[in-house]
Amino acid sequence: MEVKRVAPVVWEIPAADGMRVPGRIFASNRLMEAVRQDRAALQVVNVAHLPGIVTASFAMPDIHWGYGFPIGGVAATRVSDGVVSPGGVGFDICCGVRLLASAFTESDFQERGDQVMAQLDRRIPRGLGKGAIASKELVGAVLVQGAKAVRAAGYGWDRDLERCEEHGTSGGADPASISERAVARGGGQLGSLGAGNHFLEVQVVDQIYDPAAATAFGLSEDMVVVMIHCGSRGLGHQTCTDQLRLMGQAMHRHGISVPDRQLACVPIRSPEGEEYLSAMAASANFAWANRHVLAHEARQAFAAGFGMDPTATGMDLVFDVAHNLAKIETHDVEGVPTEVCVHRKGATRAFGPGHPALPEDLRAHGQPVLVPGSMGTASWVLRGVADNPAFASAAHGAGRVMSRKKAKAHASGQTVRHDLESRGIAVRPGSVKLLSEEAPYAYKDVDEVASVCAEADLAAKVARLRPIGVVKG
Amino acid sequence: MPRQVLSHTADAGLEATATTFVGLVEELATGMFELIAPVDPAGADRAATVEVASPTVEDLVVDMLSELLYRAEVDDTIFCDFAAQQPDSHTLKVVARGCDSTSIELGGTPIKAVTYHDLVVRQDESGWYGRVYFDV
Repeated sequence: MEVKRVAPVVWEIPAADGMRVPGRIFASNRLMEAVRQDRAALQVVNVAHLPGIVTASFAMPDIHWGYGFPIGGVAATRVSDGVVSPGGVGFDICCGVRLLASAFTESDFQERGDQVMAQLDRRIPRGLGKGAIASKELVGAVLVQGAKAVRAAGYGWDRDLERCEEHGTSGGADPASISERAVARGGGQLGSLGAGNHFLEVQVVDQIYDPAAATAFGLSEDMVVVMIHCGSRGLGHQTCTDQLRLMGQAMHRHGISVPDRQLACVPIRSPEGEEYLSAMAASANFAWANRHVLAHEARQAFAAGFGMDPTATGMDLVFDVAHNLAKIETHDVEGVPTEVCVHRKGATRAFGPGHPALPEDLRAHGQPVLVPGSMGTASWVLRGVADNPAFASAAHGAGRVMSRKKAKAHASGQTVRHDLESRGIAVRPGSVKLLSEEAPYAYKDVDEVASVCAEADLAAKVARLRPIGVVKG
Repeated sequence: MPRQVLSHTADAGLEATATTFVGLVEELATGMFELIAPVDPAGADRAATVEVASPTVEDLVVDMLSELLYRAEVDDTIFCDFAAQQPDSHTLKVVARGCDSTSIELGGTPIKAVTYHDLVVRQDESGWYGRVYFDV
């Protein structure tokens, strides 16, 4: 496979052998070396075969080998004659990140950190099982209304909905497209983290790069913040499983073939395509609501730890972004405004300044883009910029560089915990053994990912966040 | 090599061999749950019977493993012992035994789903071979 550098941090795979568009990877030399170590570039090529794909099969700087799409993959398909592929969204539909500000500084946290971490440890359900904060009875309303439904049930604050992508409600959701099995599997998990790379982290604003944007986002240096990373839990996993099975059969009826079965797809404007988008939206609504409920509980934990009312914690929502979703958006394609379905699989929407979908108070600065690092490393707040070259998309994390098998062999969970705690990071794991799979050495350098985002005009730096407490599944 | 874990940057893979198709299914099912939490079958205290009907051997494998994951999550169970039967070429039946998952420590990341990525299920002169990747 030919991969040629076309700009300092842009690499292109020319269209060949059935590819409808070229592949385009945003990476530094060092990040590109990691790309060459696994099969992610081949997956960029495979995605370029999708019917109706326009401009390029893109990969963000945190690209790594996934299933079907690479993690960090972005593909826009024309609504008029293109396809939608559940593989471009993934099983964890609307997995994403939520960031809360606070009224506390690092020294405040040092005084009461043990109490806060104990509260978080006790209150945040995680790992296997059905532990959840909110009642399963809410799921019917959640599938239609998302975060709005749990707000109506008393969770969170009104302003949360303004600071959430889609205002926390994905339109077009049809609960009838969600199977009873999906509700049975995930309905009892509303308000839970799950496991794997999902977490709740207490962080400190370490450095501000864009003071005006940081102020608008509600961030200041030395502020304690809380980052929550999770998705639609078993409900989303089962919905994708159900839909993939149906789509695999339907794809042949539509005469479509793809290089990897996980890229199964159907025309967007087909009954199967419409049903998938409805089911995806309903699952996304579960994910928005899930993060909303977890944020509510995090406020309760801080309030209890500091001995104050939750409203005094200053834990306003900075923003909530999805990084596993397909969305119908309008973008310029060869100079013509075109309606496209933008698949972001491990990539974050990054609307630039002035976009009408952004809250009025953030519109001048661009959309907050949240890029979590790994345990023990920094996370980043970026902002959308004008003329993003990849359908208004940016990175979603550090990106793995080491398999879970190798990471586990590298050090024990106990060693990883000891290392983190010796660096002043409090750790509350659901399973100590699992810590080694998510250790910092298993990930790329998130600072470099953020820098490539900035250099490639995917997003601009606003603030760097440093972890001081980790709650893991 | 009855079964072994395959390296994957983000997720996890598994390959297995067996002399029969049902033996392959048993190996892959055992390996899948071992990735989540290795459990001694002697501690199994519950059983579930799962049946799927699918057009190809690849689909039978994916659908059965997906169904076992589903049953495990809704019934709070970690399965550890499997007896598979194939009543006809398009049907697969598994009796899975296991124990309560709420009281055990995870040995690995829970599996969200079974993928079709790089899926292989084939028979040759030496028996059956299967390879499957999971979303974790």
